[in-house]
Amino acid sequence: MSYVLTTCGFCSCGCAMYVQQENGKVTGLFPSENHPVSNGRLCIKGWNATPAILGADRLRKPLVRRGEHLEATSWDDAINYAASALKKIIFESGPKSIGIIGSAKTTNEECYSLVKFARSVIGTPNIDGACRFYDASLIPALLETTGTPGSQVELSAIPKAGSILIVGSNVMEQLAHVGSRIEDAADNGCKVVAIDPRETRLAPHTSLWLHPKPGSDLAWIRAFLKIIIAERLYTKNAPEMPGFEELRASLEGIEISQLKYSCWLEPAEVHKAVELIASNPPTIVMFGLGALQQPHSTEIVKGLANIAILLGGSVMTLRGQNNAQGACDVGLTNDLLPGYLKLADPVARKVWELVWNCQLPAEPGMTAVEMLKACESGTLKALLIFGENVALSAPNTQATLSALDKVGFLAVSDLYLTETAKIADVVFPACSFLEKDGTFTNIERRLQRVRKVLEPIGESKSDLEIIAMLGAAFGAKMSADPEKVMTEISSSAPIYKGQSFRQLDEEWGQPWVPVGSEAKLAPIEAVTKDSEGEYPFYLIASRINFHQQTGTMTAKSSVLAREYPETFAEMNEADAERLGIRPGSSIRIISETNSLTRVLSVSESVPKGCVHVPHFFGGNSPNALASYETDPVSGVPIYKAYAVKIEAVR
Amino acid sequence: MKKDYSILKKSDVPAFFASLANEMQLIGPKQLFSGDVTFDVIQSHKDIYWDYGHVVYPPKRFLLPHFEDMFRYTCDQEIKIEPTCNPQPQAIVGIRSCDVAAIRFQENFFSYPIVDPYYKEHLNNTVLFNLVCNTPPKKECFCICCDSGPWLESGFDVQLTDLGDRFLYEVGSDKGEKATEPRAYMLLPATPADIEARRQIELQADSRFQTVSYVAKAINFISADEVPAKIWEDLGSTCFRCGACTNLCPVCTCFTVDDREESDGTFTRCRSWDSCQYAGFTREASGHNPRPTFGSRVARRFYHKTSYQYIIRDGRHGCVGCGRCITACLTKLGLPDVVKRIRREMHEFLPPKEKAAEV
Repeated sequence: MSYVLTTCGFCSCGCAMYVQQENGKVTGLFPSENHPVSNGRLCIKGWNATPAILGADRLRKPLVRRGEHLEATSWDDAINYAASALKKIIFESGPKSIGIIGSAKTTNEECYSLVKFARSVIGTPNIDGACRFYDASLIPALLETTGTPGSQVELSAIPKAGSILIVGSNVMEQLAHVGSRIEDAADNGCKVVAIDPRETRLAPHTSLWLHPKPGSDLAWIRAFLKIIIAERLYTKNAPEMPGFEELRASLEGIEISQLKYSCWLEPAEVHKAVELIASNPPTIVMFGLGALQQPHSTEIVKGLANIAILLGGSVMTLRGQNNAQGACDVGLTNDLLPGYLKLADPVARKVWELVWNCQLPAEPGMTAVEMLKACESGTLKALLIFGENVALSAPNTQATLSALDKVGFLAVSDLYLTETAKIADVVFPACSFLEKDGTFTNIERRLQRVRKVLEPIGESKSDLEIIAMLGAAFGAKMSADPEKVMTEISSSAPIYKGQSFRQLDEEWGQPWVPVGSEAKLAPIEAVTKDSEGEYPFYLIASRINFHQQTGTMTAKSSVLAREYPETFAEMNEADAERLGIRPGSSIRIISETNSLTRVLSVSESVPKGCVHVPHFFGGNSPNALASYETDPVSGVPIYKAYAVKIEAVR
Repeated sequence: MKKDYSILKKSDVPAFFASLANEMQLIGPKQLFSGDVTFDVIQSHKDIYWDYGHVVYPPKRFLLPHFEDMFRYTCDQEIKIEPTCNPQPQAIVGIRSCDVAAIRFQENFFSYPIVDPYYKEHLNNTVLFNLVCNTPPKKECFCICCDSGPWLESGFDVQLTDLGDRFLYEVGSDKGEKATEPRAYMLLPATPADIEARRQIELQADSRFQTVSYVAKAINFISADEVPAKIWEDLGSTCFRCGACTNLCPVCTCFTVDDREESDGTFTRCRSWDSCQYAGFTREASGHNPRPTFGSRVARRFYHKTSYQYIIRDGRHGCVGCGRCITACLTKLGLPDVVKRIRREMHEFLPPKEKAAEV
């Protein structure tokens, strides 16, 4: 019997847990009592983490496609198969015809290694992370405003906040350790203002809840800013801050009285909300996927950051995946280098050209969504996907499946034979976070150790080893030792300076310190949005606490999977009555691109004119209904607030 | 059993437990990372971290493992069953009195009316050396309200009380006697001063607790089914559904059973801790759920902990005051908090007239 201290691989809170192992099997699991996040507690996913990732149908051997079927083979064969396919494509169409999508669930070392493989071994600029499907819009927005592409405060700051503005996050179900601290804050007298069309389980702890029209966040954010500036509710030095005048000018012409029509919000309520947060410092502005997956999400984040800056408060990003922060930190994006250095910056390029011994182009490569479109159009001939079930997490499932089917060569590395892996040409069996060493970076920017508890299941290998083997097939020497890779990262990326496994084995990791970042206000221009027409309902997509993202892992735990035996959608009772549909009957939710069938239930927490569609697993995802339309700045798809119509299934 | 006090001098502790280790595996509190402590296999007496305070992960798991393989089977031509659960003799040293009281509760539950052979075999192979808490190890402790600590009057195998340079050594069961006997020569008779020292610990115990719980009040309200559904629903509205309260409760016994397919085509029947706080726990095959709301599931947990029918059945109420449901809860649904809220809100609910009549 032994206990290994590791970091949970579900949400971005990053709890430290001990996993008990006996004869190669997990026999127990419990939270660390002294860890600054877990504090002796775990959420339901943490408690059920091990059955979820050690499902009986884990991939045990590499698979290659022979005709219609995927057949088990040796590692040598699978790597050679992949390498020769890629070499042929490079020879015929050049390296830019290859796209690579990494994961925000894998370790920092693996994300970094994948970037290095793409940029220096293959020589393609088309490398992007799965964050593009979730929350990547916060990076350009926060780099321009707060200067810190992540949370500015630790979780321990939440209970001491005077007020919290929380936008678009089902925080109690998805980030339990943040939710728990918000409750503590509210008990300490903190004013919690929640802004979300649908009321969630946060409601008992809030002072005020505003239910805006889905997709209208930018309009009320501009109103908030206008009120803060017009009524001088900002901190004393705000007018001297860079960008103040530009911001003020960009807000001219706002009619607060119009909010009733543009956002479904009463002007008096909006005033009250602004007053609550402005008069109760320190303020923390939090936002989740609800804000990050709307149209113009980059502008929305800039606006929210402006609110925090004007009030002298701070920003906390409520991200989804366990290593969303770390994946971006180490450069798993199409336009940045490790440490958020811009690809366009020649000095930064020079640094990494020396480390990687290659030439770097100044132009960004394709984003993940652009890669899917390029697979369809034929511009991309090969796609490599590490640890992301793109078939379900990308928007527009039908088009995505067709694109993945069409691309000449598709390689997938994953724990299970996901919907994406099923249509691949080569499948690499990856091992889970219980079977490897490395680091994750949590929501607080805290670098934390992931430690190996078990030997890899079957012949599975860590992505780090798989990338090193692929590298070797191209004649490149890439380290498969996570400790060495971390040393390489920390010696060249300033934000990770001084971080090492040795230090993390002596004490809990600390949040990395932002380098030379000065807050700056950004102008927030108005955008106009078309009206609904044929599609009279707004879709509210959410996540429930028993499942994580596309459910590849959580569906494997019998305890988690049994909790909701039926996939459902919720509507307001009045809407259901108007449509003449009874609760318990099947409805079809139809968007411009796709449709989905769910069982209807009625709930007063869903406002009129909206339908709430939670994510489950196994292909029943509201992502299917979205299109390839993205936020123009960040390229994050619009998964929220699109128009749908509802029909009864007869 | 006759109460018989002996003394085990701390200088003899290494030899005592080295000798015991020849007969059985020793499990004791062990330091992990950054102040975290858990019960683990002890290789040397030096690993026993006597001043450990309290542990989050209850030692009940050495009798009812968190994840346990029960048997393996194949069903090709004929069904072959091969047991995989093979408990070895073990001594749990330094376990707290509350956890021993909880194990006695579980023993009762798993023995009647149906004997659980897996639990029984683990139990038959286990001897408990509990350590009296001279001061409550945590501010959340309230064992004194639950008659399960800081020391035990009965139900222990061997009870140790730290008296500075020595342990007061009490044998409380045949199993304890059997584990002591080969090493009895290392024990000295207790002096009146030793017994007085222990009596002082007992006398001062009640003034040292920071958490109290009016469990009796809750037993009254809950047994009479008087708590309005609204109070339960209010409590349920803040529950995070993590299941930590039942996982970490040393009294909770519920488990679920899964058949896991192995890579070689065989199947393993495993059981793992389950929680009444999940909808899937009580949902019937028809889809009907007798505990359909979060509030009704919180109510279920407290009925099981404090209703009179279970006291009659199990001989005591189902809480030992270890405080783990307070520390592990993401909100404030630990037993003392809930009991306090029920008491307060019950009085708010009573109309003024009845309040007057009550006085």
